[in-house]
Amino acid sequence: MKKYEITIGIECHVQLATKTKLFSEVDNDARGKSPNSCVSPVDYALPGMLPRLNKAAVEMAVTAGLALNSTINLKSRFDRKHYFYPDLPKGYQITQLYSPIIGPGYVELPSGTKVRIEHAHLEEDAGKLTHFDTYSLVDLNRAGTPLIEIVSMPDIHSAEDARDYCKELWRLMTYSGVCLGDLYNGNMRFDVNISLAEPGAEKLGTRAEIKNLNSFRSVEHAVAYEYERQSKLLDRGEKVKQETRGFSDATGKTTSQRSKEESQDYRYMPEPDLPPLNLPESLVEEKKKSLPLLPSDYRRMFGGLIPENILEILLDYPSLMQKLAEVDKKFATKVANLFSSVLLAEENASLLNDPLPSKDQLEDLISMQENGDLSSTAVKSVFLKFFDKEMHFKSTETIAKELNLIQENDTDTLEKIVEDVVSDPACEKAVADFKSGSEKVLGFLVGQVMKASHGKANPATVNKILREKLK
Amino acid sequence: MKIANKMTKAVDLVQEALEKVEKYKDYNIFTFVNAENALKKAAIIDAKIKKGEPVGRLAGVPYALKDNFLSPEGETTASAKILTGFTSPVTATSVKKLEDEGAIMIGRTNLDAFAHGSSTENSYFGVTKNAKDKTRVAGGSSGGSAVAVALDIVQFATGTDTGGSIRQPASFNGVFGLKPTYGAISRYGVVAMASSTDCVGFFTREASDLDLLMSITAGRDPKDQTTLPDFYESSEGDKKDFPGQRAGYDRALARDTRDDGLARRVSREVLSYRIGVIKDFKSDILDKKVKELSAKGFEIKEVSLPTLKYALAVYYVTVPAELSSNLSRHDGIRYGFRSKDANTLSDLYEHTRAEGFMPENKRRIMIGNFVLSSGFYDAYFMKAAKARTLIINEYEKAFRDVDFLLTPVSPNPAFKIGEKVNDPLAMYLEDVMSVPANLAGLPALAFPAGETDNGLPVGLQLLGPRRSDAELIKFAEENL
Amino acid sequence: MKITREDIDHLAELSNFSLEDAEKESLKGDLENIIQYISELSNLDTDGISPTFQVFEMENVWRDDEILAQDADRESLLALTKEEEDHQIKIPKVL
Repeated sequence: MKKYEITIGIECHVQLATKTKLFSEVDNDARGKSPNSCVSPVDYALPGMLPRLNKAAVEMAVTAGLALNSTINLKSRFDRKHYFYPDLPKGYQITQLYSPIIGPGYVELPSGTKVRIEHAHLEEDAGKLTHFDTYSLVDLNRAGTPLIEIVSMPDIHSAEDARDYCKELWRLMTYSGVCLGDLYNGNMRFDVNISLAEPGAEKLGTRAEIKNLNSFRSVEHAVAYEYERQSKLLDRGEKVKQETRGFSDATGKTTSQRSKEESQDYRYMPEPDLPPLNLPESLVEEKKKSLPLLPSDYRRMFGGLIPENILEILLDYPSLMQKLAEVDKKFATKVANLFSSVLLAEENASLLNDPLPSKDQLEDLISMQENGDLSSTAVKSVFLKFFDKEMHFKSTETIAKELNLIQENDTDTLEKIVEDVVSDPACEKAVADFKSGSEKVLGFLVGQVMKASHGKANPATVNKILREKLK
Repeated sequence: MKIANKMTKAVDLVQEALEKVEKYKDYNIFTFVNAENALKKAAIIDAKIKKGEPVGRLAGVPYALKDNFLSPEGETTASAKILTGFTSPVTATSVKKLEDEGAIMIGRTNLDAFAHGSSTENSYFGVTKNAKDKTRVAGGSSGGSAVAVALDIVQFATGTDTGGSIRQPASFNGVFGLKPTYGAISRYGVVAMASSTDCVGFFTREASDLDLLMSITAGRDPKDQTTLPDFYESSEGDKKDFPGQRAGYDRALARDTRDDGLARRVSREVLSYRIGVIKDFKSDILDKKVKELSAKGFEIKEVSLPTLKYALAVYYVTVPAELSSNLSRHDGIRYGFRSKDANTLSDLYEHTRAEGFMPENKRRIMIGNFVLSSGFYDAYFMKAAKARTLIINEYEKAFRDVDFLLTPVSPNPAFKIGEKVNDPLAMYLEDVMSVPANLAGLPALAFPAGETDNGLPVGLQLLGPRRSDAELIKFAEENL
Repeated sequence: MKITREDIDHLAELSNFSLEDAEKESLKGDLENIIQYISELSNLDTDGISPTFQVFEMENVWRDDEILAQDADRESLLALTKEEEDHQIKIPKVL
C-alpha cells in the first residue's frame, strides 16, 4: 500500500470538428495548410470586429454533454477571460465561466471507477507561436477553433485511472462525432491536477497542475512522476507548492512553470458582443435521438460475445466498432478476432486507413469458414484481400475462388487422392510405419495428400479418410 | 419628380464641400480629407445620371465620417496614436450602406481618442473648436462630426454615442443628433468603445434627414449578432431621398418640393402624445420648450426616476470595464503603431500601449481593470449591472405614463477649451444627463432648442421607448 | 477608498502599459476621485435584482456552419503588421 493517497482532477480541451471556426466563417481544419491561411478579420482581431457564433459548435457541445451523461444547461452565455499573449489577438479569450452550457455528469471507466464531471464549457482556442533564437512567429490558423473544456471532479486516484479516464474521454468524444480525436495534432489536450494526502486525511493536499499533456501515456507518466516528486517532498516534511508545471516526454519529468503568486487575474466579464443562449428543449431531444452508439453501448452489446480484453482494444477504433455493430451478432466473435489478430497486427497497420470490408463480405467470410469452405489460413488471406483496391468490391466467394482457396470437401474426390497417395511407392515406408503403430507419420501422409490436392483438401476430412483406409 | 435644366452635379457638391473644408481648417475638424477619391466618385455618379442610369438615394451627397469607422479610405485612427498607420482592409456595414446609396465621404472627423471624452480635447490630433465660438470646445466625443454639419461643410455626418457622444456635441453646436435604439445599426467595423452601450448614429441639420439615414442604415447584420431584427419603418417609406441636396435635381426647385412634402404629409394624431419631464433634469431652455409644447396642446407630465442619480456611477463602472477589455487588442503586434523601443515582447506591449494611448484612455483602462479585478467584481461591476436593471425598470414604468421624455442633453453649454481637461471627474459629470439612455438602450434625439444669452446653442433631447426611433424623428420634424 | 502607489502599479500591470513616475502620481489622485464617485453605488439597494449585461431580448443568435469568403484575405491582413516572415507575424522573442 502506498504511503499517500493521490487525488487527481483533469481538465480536458476538446477541439470540435466543425467546418468553420467558433466565431468566423473560415475553415476550421488547418492541418497541412499554410500559416495564417485560415484567418478572418475577426480572428485577426481588427478593431470593430465582432464574434459570429457558429450554431454547429453549440450543437456539438450539446452532443458532447449528452455523451458525458451531463445535464444540458438550456440557458448559458459567454464570458471574456483576459490576458496578454501574442497567440490571443483580442487580448481575451471568449469562454464560459459563469453559465457553462454543459452541467454535471459522469464518465464510467472500464475498471468501474466513476469520474464525475463538474461541468464543461464552450470556448475558443488560441493561435500558435513558433520560437526562434531572437524572435517568435505568430500563426493564427488555430485561433478561434471551437473547444469544449471538460472539467472533472477530483475522483481519480491512480495513474492508471487517470490514463483510462483520458482514454475514455477520447472515446466518448470521437464516438459521439464531435472530435476527430487526432492527438498528434492537439485535438485533445489534458491539464492534470495532482495532490497527495495521508490516507484518511480530511483535506486534500496542495495541488500541482501539469499543463498541456497530449497523450494518454504522458498523462500516466506525469502522474506517476508527480507522485514520486510530491511524496519525497512530504517525506522530508516540505510543502508542495501550488503551481503550474510542464511535462517533458523526453525526460519523463515535470518542471515548474508558474507559481500561484504569479498567477494571473483574468478579470472575467460577461461577453457583451454575443446574445445569451436559451436552447429550445427540442434541440436537446433531437441530439439525444441522433446520438451515435457510445463505448458503454458497445460494451452492453458485445459483453459475453467478445472477451473483455479484446473488446477494450477494439474500442480504441470507432470505425471497427461501428462495423462490428453492423454484422450479425452470431459472427461478431469471429469478426472481432479477425480485427484484433489480423487487422491490428503491426504489419497491417497501414490498412486501418483504408475502407473496411462490407458487412456482407465479413459475414460470408465467417460462414465459409464455418462451412469448411475456407481454412483458417485462407480466411486470413481473403480478409486481407478485402483491403486491396482491386478486390474491395468483389464478393467473398469471388475472391476466394480467384485465389483458389476454396477447400475440397467432396469425400469421393478426396478418397481418390488418398488412394493415389497410399499406393504411391514413395509412401510405401510411411504406410508401413503407420500400420505398425507410428502415429507421427500420419502428418507426413496428410501433407502428401494436401500437396496432391494443391492445398485445397480439407485437412480434417483427409485425416479421417486416411485413418479409415489404413485401418 | 420634374428635373430642371440646371441639374445639381455631384462634382459640384463635392467641390463645394472640399472648399469649405479648406475654409474652416482652423477648426481642426478633419483627421483626413478624402479629396481625390471623393471627386472620382462624384464624376462616376454624374456620368451615371447623364446616361440615365439609376443612382442611390444619397447620390453625390457629401458626408463626414467620424474617424472610428473602418473603411479603406484614409487611416482609421479613432484619433489615437496607437492606430496611426492603420488603413482598414474592411468597411463598416453602416459605411457600406451609405456608400451603396451614393453618399460621398469628404473626410474623417476628429474625436476624443477612442471616443473617451466629452470635448474632443483627448484627441491625439488636438482639439476641435466649437462652430459658434472658437474659444470653446466642440463637445465630444464626436466633436468633429458635429462641427462639420453645423458649419454646413457636409449634409450629414456619422457619429457614435456610448454615453452622449453624438447628442452632447450636437447640442453644443446647434444641430440634430440621433442616438438610435441599441442594436438598430450594425456596430461591425466601428472601433469599439463599450459594446453594450455603443450606438452608431448621425448629425444633420434637418430632423427629416435622420429618417432617411435610419431607413438606409438600420437593420439586422449577420456580422453583428447584437443587431435587432429589422424594425425601423420610415415615416415616408422608401420614396424619400435628399431632395435639394443630392445630385440630379435642381436644388432651388427641390427645396420647394421638400416643403410641400412636409406640409402634405398625413400627420398622425400627434396631440395624443404625452410628454414627460424628469424631476431632477431641468433647465431654463427646457422650461421654455415645455411651455411651448403645452401651448400646442400636448399633455406634459412630471415623472420621477429616483435611480437615475446613480446612472453616471453605473456608467463609469460598466463602460470602463468593457472598454478596457475592448482595447486589449491594441498591442502593436498586428496593426497600427508599434513602439520603437520594443526589443522584448513585454517592452513591445508596455511601450506601445504607454506611448499609443492618451492619458484619458489610460485612466479608463485602469478603472476598468479595477472594477473587474478579483475582489472588486461583485462590489463594482456586478453592483452596477444590477443598478442598470433598476434604471431600465424605472424607464419602463415611466413609459407606461408618457410617450416621450424631454430632458436637457448636458448640464451646461459648450465650455472653454482647457476648462475641464485637468479634472476628469468634472468632465465625466458632463455626461450625467446623456448616459441613462445608453444604459437602457433607448433612442434619444438631440435637437437645437435655443441659445444662451451669449449666443451659444443649447439642445434638448427627446427619449422614447426602445424601437420608437421613427416616431421620435417624426415628432421632432413636426413639433420641435 | 484609498489608492496606493502599489495599486497603481498593479493596475498598470493589468493594463499592460508602463507609466512614468509623474503619470503615476496624477493617476493616483484621479483614480481615487473616480473610484470614490463610483463607490456611491454601495448606497443603492440591489438585493434580489438580477443584473443587466445587455439591453435587448434576443437569444440564440447564431449562423450556419458554412465557409464564406471574408472581408479581407491573409495578404491584406498581414500587410498591416510591422514585420512578417513566412506568412506569419514576427515579434520579439517570447521569453
